[in-house]
Amino acid sequence: METALLLPVLFLLLLGMVELARISYTYYTLQKMLTMVASYLGTRQGVNFCDEADLTVTQAKAFALTGTNEGTNTPLVPNLDTAGIRVRAERVAVDSGDLGECDCSAQGCDLASGGRAPDYVTVSLTDGYTVRVALPFINLEPIILRPQVRMPYGGT
Amino acid sequence: MILAPVLLVLMGLAVDLGRLYLIKGELKTAANAMALAGAQSLVGTEQSTALASTNAQTAIQVASNIGNKYDFAGITIGQESNLLASSVDDPEYFDTAASAIGESENASGGTVSGATARHMRVTLRVEAPLIFFGLIPLGQERKVPIVMRSVAGMSAPLCQACGITNIAVAAVDPADGTDFGFIPGTRYTLGFSCTGAPNPGNLANTTARIPYLLLDKLDSEAQIFADETSQLYQIGASGLPASTTEAKACFQISSTSLIWTTATTLACNTNRVQPAITALGCGLAARFDTAVPGACASVAEVDTLASLNAVDTDLNDLDDYTQYTGNQRRVITVLVVDALAANAEMTLLGFRQFLLEPSNGAATLSVDAANGRFPALYIGSVVPLRQGRMSGCTITAGPGKVVLHR
Repeated sequence: METALLLPVLFLLLLGMVELARISYTYYTLQKMLTMVASYLGTRQGVNFCDEADLTVTQAKAFALTGTNEGTNTPLVPNLDTAGIRVRAERVAVDSGDLGECDCSAQGCDLASGGRAPDYVTVSLTDGYTVRVALPFINLEPIILRPQVRMPYGGT
Repeated sequence: MILAPVLLVLMGLAVDLGRLYLIKGELKTAANAMALAGAQSLVGTEQSTALASTNAQTAIQVASNIGNKYDFAGITIGQESNLLASSVDDPEYFDTAASAIGESENASGGTVSGATARHMRVTLRVEAPLIFFGLIPLGQERKVPIVMRSVAGMSAPLCQACGITNIAVAAVDPADGTDFGFIPGTRYTLGFSCTGAPNPGNLANTTARIPYLLLDKLDSEAQIFADETSQLYQIGASGLPASTTEAKACFQISSTSLIWTTATTLACNTNRVQPAITALGCGLAARFDTAVPGACASVAEVDTLASLNAVDTDLNDLDDYTQYTGNQRRVITVLVVDALAANAEMTLLGFRQFLLEPSNGAATLSVDAANGRFPALYIGSVVPLRQGRMSGCTITAGPGKVVLHR
């Protein structure tokens, strides 16, 4: 009799546990993926972060997401494409020591017009990654994961 | 009822343990970024450790809400949040990689001065929250400390160096694997090689003249600043431009190379150099001052080029490199070859570094000295290079790059 009362609760706990673990796992996968993009790009040279179509950047994203430079395999996480990964070049402001996005200009990081390389590369997800928590009878808001990684450019 | 603790442990294993691993992963990323960023500033000067500590902190700054954070990117490292402590230990500095990696918790060292520090160890200490483990006696504090370390520093000597200058000097003593016969802390005159008598002497306040040549790295496919003089100016001002094609931006030890085609030697008694050498000299001078000297007007697009480069923040005339406090703009990495040859291939033996000095009695580097001469302090190989490879040669000394040891 008591068991019958407890069973639904137990069942819900079990499902919730699985869901939470799944979210952690997804987040960890994304975090690792972004770390890879950041540390890979941080060690390349001649990368123009101001060029949307820069080959090195596109290939790094595709490789992290699918395991091939061309992005032909199935993505590691569903519903994410290379456009969802945002790579931002950053530079330390000389006077304040604060980090800020590097301008796409000759004084900034646009290599095509004579700019210099950035100091840091940050990689994040443009709109985050949305995961839905699937629990019976309970309607939860989707959770948006926002992993982000910064690596110094140059070195290693 | 008896089942409750068992259930809590199980829940904890699924939820809390996963979260702890996740936090460890995030912290490792942050610690790696800090160590790599900091170690780039370990350039053998007294203030380098202070600079490295500042730069390491920059790596975990949160700018426009983006940075290396932890716990689902929710908590900024180094700030207390929701009663969870999070701190960054003062980085420790070491002279050798072995001591930096040191197995024991309190490995000896960690207090070497900036002049000898080559490696740094970053330690992050944070507290991670527990949900289900917090409900059993084992985790009553509802949080657990996590410590994460990263060690980064100068790598083994590079066999391929990128983004350096194409100035080649002959080894004074090719058998000396450490300094090729140059004496650290000595002020030399680097002077463009010339033929015949009289031999141009050394500049005032320097000990000897070292002749140099320029190796060929003309990029015939350059999209911007394609003019030859512009290219040489750029090399002088900031080294070879970065390129996805390694051959364009890098030099490999043991490779052979001819001189830059138009940078030919002239008779010493003409007291002049080819425009190519002047262009390179103008670039070197731009490391001190953005104003364009009259002699540089012939360099194509010189005004634009001059505006692209920052100047060094320390322009002092230094006899002791460890007192240098600038941003390394004055440090040049040159090529050491077996023997200078204007008409034959030269074999590359290694890379070594010089600190450019302001011309005698001036605040900047003058481009007017006859025969392409400029003063420079030999500093060995203390400044890590930004790009290069370690494979493909057997050398025991030379500049490395910053790598993650652990």
